[in-house]
Amino acid sequence: MSRIGVFVCHCGENISRTVDVEQVAKAAGEIPGVAYSCDYKYMCSDPGQTLLKKAVAEHKLDGVLVAACSPRMHEKTFRKAAEAAGLNPYLCEMANIREHCSWVHEDRDMATAKAKDIVKLMVERVRKGKSLAPITVPVTKRALVIGGGIAGIQAALDVADAGHHVIMVERDPSIGGHMAQLSETFPTLDCSQCIMTPKMVDVANHPNITLYTYSEIEKVEGYIGNFQVTVKHKARSVDESKCTGCGVCMTKCPKKKIPNEFDQGHGMRPAIYVPFPQAVPNTPVIDRENCTMFQSGKCGVCAKVCGPGAVDYEQKDTFTVEDVGAIVVATGFKLYTIDRKPEGSPIQGYGEFGYGTIPDIIDGMTFERLASASGPTGGKILRPSDGKEPKQVVFIQCVGSRAREKGISYCSKVCCMYTAKHTMLYHHKVHDGQAYVFFMDARTPGKGYDEFWRRAVEEEEAVYIRGMVSRMYQRGDKIVVMGSDIQVGTQVEIEADLVVLATAVQPQDGADLLAQKLGISYDKYNFYSEAHAKLKPVECATAGIYLAGACQGPKDIPDTVSQASAAAAKVMTLFAKDKLERDPVVAKVNEKYCVGCFACKKVCAYGAIEEKEIRDRQGNLVKKVAYVNPGVCGGCGTCQATCPSKSIELDGYTDEQIMAMIEAL
Amino acid sequence: MKNKLMHLSNETMNIGFVKKVEALSGSSVRRCFQCGKCSAGCPMSTFMEHPPNRVVRLLQLGQGQRILAGRSIWYCASCETCTTRCPNKVDLAAIMDALRKLSWDADGPSKESYVQLANRLFIENIRTYGRQYELRLGAAFNMKSGQFLKDLMLGPKLISKGKLKMFHSKNKNIAEIEGIFKRIEEMRKKGEAL
Repeated sequence: MSRIGVFVCHCGENISRTVDVEQVAKAAGEIPGVAYSCDYKYMCSDPGQTLLKKAVAEHKLDGVLVAACSPRMHEKTFRKAAEAAGLNPYLCEMANIREHCSWVHEDRDMATAKAKDIVKLMVERVRKGKSLAPITVPVTKRALVIGGGIAGIQAALDVADAGHHVIMVERDPSIGGHMAQLSETFPTLDCSQCIMTPKMVDVANHPNITLYTYSEIEKVEGYIGNFQVTVKHKARSVDESKCTGCGVCMTKCPKKKIPNEFDQGHGMRPAIYVPFPQAVPNTPVIDRENCTMFQSGKCGVCAKVCGPGAVDYEQKDTFTVEDVGAIVVATGFKLYTIDRKPEGSPIQGYGEFGYGTIPDIIDGMTFERLASASGPTGGKILRPSDGKEPKQVVFIQCVGSRAREKGISYCSKVCCMYTAKHTMLYHHKVHDGQAYVFFMDARTPGKGYDEFWRRAVEEEEAVYIRGMVSRMYQRGDKIVVMGSDIQVGTQVEIEADLVVLATAVQPQDGADLLAQKLGISYDKYNFYSEAHAKLKPVECATAGIYLAGACQGPKDIPDTVSQASAAAAKVMTLFAKDKLERDPVVAKVNEKYCVGCFACKKVCAYGAIEEKEIRDRQGNLVKKVAYVNPGVCGGCGTCQATCPSKSIELDGYTDEQIMAMIEAL
Repeated sequence: MKNKLMHLSNETMNIGFVKKVEALSGSSVRRCFQCGKCSAGCPMSTFMEHPPNRVVRLLQLGQGQRILAGRSIWYCASCETCTTRCPNKVDLAAIMDALRKLSWDADGPSKESYVQLANRLFIENIRTYGRQYELRLGAAFNMKSGQFLKDLMLGPKLISKGKLKMFHSKNKNIAEIEGIFKRIEEMRKKGEAL
């Protein structure tokens, strides 16, 4: 006869509001085999845990059931308490009477009856439970950082400085990301390049960092502490080991009129190029789609002028497999465009702003490039259509953001501040110009942020107009902006020379595909999901994978750097131990009954099932059976449900336990 | 005028006028972030077509003419509740004063209200008697505004309760008060006072 203890939690009022916890505890006490039952206001609190430990000792309990919240919330807490009381932690289970009962029901009597049932069946599971020992797995102390923007750079430098090897993978030819494109940064107006480029160089020179640019993640296998990542190195057509970065190829390339992506298409670059002069690495790449050699087979100028003979038209994509223990995902963001979107897309463009057909309506990043000393205009604010200096500039906030009808309901967080910054930059560069800003709310929480915005209004003479713009169209060489000032209560019309849109921050293209490779979750916008919005903001639900920067949601530079350092700290915590303890809830094969059909292998999402040969003493093959690698098994139970001969079982969720639970009902 | 489409450009925004208001009032209009606290506490707000916050807003947009075309500034009682409570230290009462002065300078007495008439008679009364002689002020206001019988029946009640004196008593220091008026006139000529 077992001696089980049942502890029913009130969770303040979260449970007791709809469930009569005293009755549940009383009913539990009457189940055969339950030696002790009680209820308590906060079981997870220190006195609550003490109550549990005392009861285990006093009543000689051999199993514990805590009827409270979801095991995702507090299973660890109570298993630890049970372990401290001398029980095997896996003999402590939780009955979820909060998320599965009190939160979703209103009728007190029915909810109480349901809670009693949940407790009753979970008691059976505890009764049939077995002691388990945690599995230890080795930890590969190398980290992978995906993305070479400020988030990835910060995370990589922090982990590398702690003495661990880091592999950084960047999709573009250079690291630096969006921050390298910015002119000046709020709220201090320090030059972005000046604070960014030294960090980029640090990454390139760091003995603990291996940098792969122009590379992508092809495949991710394994689990926390033991990932195998296949990296695809796209053919650069330039041998990195030979190239000295002299730049002769770029000056001699006959094809020079290709819009430069780094300048938002407003500057020009040759077909063999580095995105910007401060690029890291300073090794050019051939844009094969625009290269005459690749398109027509005639040219080859760059190969001829290259002294070290680094240009290699025959180069192919290559692949390497990297063993890493932790992954930091820092893939960043892209900006929404007002263009017409494809049919059926959940996100819409702005027809009322001309769907991006008016050349002098630009986005914030383009304005950054115009204001940047290294930009296509050398830092002069000149409008794209005719190169004239605009005297009336209209800035519009919340374009795409907070526009449910356009498909994006979130706030992009950075636009209020960068628009204030833009008005200042404009005022500094065009003294007789006037900046207008149409806005709904000025959201400027952050150290020194509100003061910065007020400075734009009070000292830099930006005219802020609370209200949105309904329509914009070209009239002569002006753009007519029709808006409203809801504070005055009138319509406003401005003939603008240039319009700058603060467009929404969106996840990078392909963010969903990468998430699928990594096995991490993402929201409906493709932003990656953290494990807990408040308490696990940098961890993914998938162990060993961490998030940094705007790939998780819109973020400014200070927040991004903070999160990147936090992710790095998490990686270092993981690397602080040589072995990692894993939950022993894994599948086990009964080799006696296994017929070797390997149906389990086909359904296993983790690739944990291997084929194992059983031989007799003479070495003759008797049969092949399935074997579960406990380090890889995710404990999902799919194999157990699939196995036709019932010879594979998940510890902690055995058929015996589940049948007992069903019978209890 | 109130709801007319507003064209904004360097030409249509009369920033010079705003600078004058700022100089006269000694208060910045750009500091205001339109929280609405001034209008929330203003006892006259319900009578104004532009409540106090909107007066500042129109100044921010260089739309002084829209304010002067209305009667808001003449309804301001100068109670200074707005100035006292403003979180941004915008001295709205002083701005209202400045606007009234600029309006007077530009267009003379407003046809919108009798406030200026009352103000002028009030001041003249003090200059003549050295203190307020309410009976005469009331009589003069009724005569000049053409509302001869306005509030006439209140007179006997106020007199019987001693709130209104039948006969004035001149201030002993009337000469010094005249000195104050003279000095202000001098300052006005030099542009040192409103």
